[in-house]
Amino acid sequence: MSRMPLPTERLVQPRLVGYDPTRPKPWLERIAYALFFSALWVMVVLAYGVVPTVFRHYGWLKSPLGFAAYAVIEAVLAFLLAAVVALILIVVLRKYLGKVQERVGPMHYGPAGVFQTVFDALKLLGKEDFAPRRVDWLIFRLAPAIVFVSAFLLMVAIPVAPGWLIADLDVGLLYIVAVSTLGAYGVVLGGLSQGNKWGLLGAFRAGAQLVSYEVPLAIALLSVGVYAGSLRFVDIVEHQYGLWHVVPLFLSFIVYLVASIAELKATPFDLPEAESEIVAGYNTEYSGMSFAFFFLAEFVELFLLPGFMVLLFFGGWHGPLFGLDPTSFAAGLLQSFYFLVKVAVWVWIFLWIRATLPRFRDDQLMDLAWKGLLPLSLVGLLVAALFRMFLEVL
Amino acid sequence: MRNPTTIEPVPGRTDEMIINMGPQHPATHGVLKVVIGLDGERITRAVPHIGFLHRNHEKIEEARTYTQIISYTDRMDYVSGLQNELPFILAVEDLLGVEVPPRAKLIRTIFFELFRIASHLVWLGTGMLDLGAITPFLYTFRDREKILEITEKTAGARMLPNYFTFGGVRRDVHPDFFKDVAAFLDFFETRLPDYYALVLDSPVFQARAVGVGVLSKERAIARGASGPVIRASGVPYDVRKAEPYDAYPELEFEIPTREEGDVYARFWVRFREMEESVKIIRQALEKVPKTGPYKGKVPPRVKPKPGARYRAVEIARGHLGAYVVSDGSEYPARIKHRSPSFANLQLIPDLFVGARFADAIAILSSLDPVFGEVDR
Repeated sequence: MSRMPLPTERLVQPRLVGYDPTRPKPWLERIAYALFFSALWVMVVLAYGVVPTVFRHYGWLKSPLGFAAYAVIEAVLAFLLAAVVALILIVVLRKYLGKVQERVGPMHYGPAGVFQTVFDALKLLGKEDFAPRRVDWLIFRLAPAIVFVSAFLLMVAIPVAPGWLIADLDVGLLYIVAVSTLGAYGVVLGGLSQGNKWGLLGAFRAGAQLVSYEVPLAIALLSVGVYAGSLRFVDIVEHQYGLWHVVPLFLSFIVYLVASIAELKATPFDLPEAESEIVAGYNTEYSGMSFAFFFLAEFVELFLLPGFMVLLFFGGWHGPLFGLDPTSFAAGLLQSFYFLVKVAVWVWIFLWIRATLPRFRDDQLMDLAWKGLLPLSLVGLLVAALFRMFLEVL
Repeated sequence: MRNPTTIEPVPGRTDEMIINMGPQHPATHGVLKVVIGLDGERITRAVPHIGFLHRNHEKIEEARTYTQIISYTDRMDYVSGLQNELPFILAVEDLLGVEVPPRAKLIRTIFFELFRIASHLVWLGTGMLDLGAITPFLYTFRDREKILEITEKTAGARMLPNYFTFGGVRRDVHPDFFKDVAAFLDFFETRLPDYYALVLDSPVFQARAVGVGVLSKERAIARGASGPVIRASGVPYDVRKAEPYDAYPELEFEIPTREEGDVYARFWVRFREMEESVKIIRQALEKVPKTGPYKGKVPPRVKPKPGARYRAVEIARGHLGAYVVSDGSEYPARIKHRSPSFANLQLIPDLFVGARFADAIAILSSLDPVFGEVDR
């Protein structure tokens, strides 16, 4: 039977503009990831390694002027590091989600789309930072700052190699609990101040979720402190020579893992900004750079919470040193590299969870925190105390 | 008492927040607006508003010839486009007294079931998007794309192909058609385990879906629900079995039914329906002659004899009917479409009240309304 050809049959194969997914260039993306990683490493080496080492070596920190200069330089560097972390992680998230979802992700700005977030940030900078008439102006403007500052202050506490740190805090664990709680204020105030019902719901959810998960998170941190006998990060990492804390403190590690995903407000705990339920939740009315600060803070935390996890449970910067003196600069380079690799692996696992799971419901979330994680974290604390007792006896 | 169309705040009650969900809301599948009273996260009252997509379909169709109307019926439930043509065509065929060749019947059935799979894939992707999982959305759209490509090769259009016609189909299938469909079925069967793993077997999904939005058998029947919604409540009603049309009498298939009536049951029924569709298409592919007539004898000017006819089919969303009244002219005197989503949406106040807000989203996506068909 004869059949008339259709004009549309030519169009069955779509014409592709710019990029042909049938001929991907995986090497380009690998180079891009390597570039991301080295940019991050360079920033980390500068902020945590070079500047503090130089200041300590010349003893400038003892004079008030030198200390002020150190504070300013480190603040700028930490800010730049936060920006670099966020810019990189956002594009990594989008590329990774693309990979999981069998699409290509950002492609057009820079080789393999590496500059996508730079252009996104420029676009956000150029947008009007609009505030509706109903908002409580002062709190509305303050909230993104609180959120970002709390994430940014956490960067100070991380040691990346022996002697490579911005501030050597004796109460490092308490500091991160205190400062990361500040971020919850920002989110709740931002949601409440905007006079929008979706924002209000988002603020309710954020308040309940962030405060609830602070409790098991703090107890998990505490059990590490009990086991290591110190709240100082450097001591905790030193304590892990021989055996990483993840083995004896496995329960606390599980609690920390789940609670930190909840603190990140990532799927399956993304209720405060659940797009399909409450539109955009606590940042419904934010636009331009105010919105960008919420976004930046979220991704800085996506770097920091796995960072703390690596420090507390996975031996921080531990790795083969090939006979180098652990306090030398070359060993510092190598050890900060190990630290970043471990963090990258955990960031990847966090993204994997985000790409796979659906969302919990609010009451299930609360049940998990108060009925599941809290008892588990207390058991973890008990286990840590028992192990500590055995260590003392031995 | 008359159903209230808006929610007024109760004087003196301060713990209830009244909120408009939609028509511009990410999870309302188009343009549904539900005015919701919220006590914390619990829904106290819910009133659905429809009509934002009303296009006056039935009136427009009165001013079109019978052949022209087919392309309008496509645009009711645009997600399962091709399926919507059939009830109107069946009714007009009855009025005309046209005999449909068996090959055309089988081709129509194959397309009909392909579009059921396509529609359920869109439902699955968007439903999981509502529940917070972004990845299934892209997987299902990738698979649906293959069905649309098969349709495009034969019919020339993708979503709204305007391909069925009185007495059969508009043109013969593409030479590759049967091969393509068989290849798609093989591919799709390798994909189904992924969907089971990502959705039905996922503990987080089960926590969200089991026991949520329970719809009793009596309530479902009273509200005129149909399709997967009523079958998940334990009523084995399916037009393909109740009033068989096209090639369905000669094909063997089951009607998946479940007793629970919750969101999980509705998801499960649609999953099983996709499997049944694969079975149906495989049988039809074995039976269909590779060559032969694809259209019966139909007069060039379609003028049915005076009379009225109601025919129904089982589209992806349920019982879709067309009531055609002919006065013997080229134009129908009256057309009425009975659409399943419209009836299913009546369940919103029943199911929403008492649920949590996040449950409401899950319930809505398990009802799977398409607003082109609700509002017409």
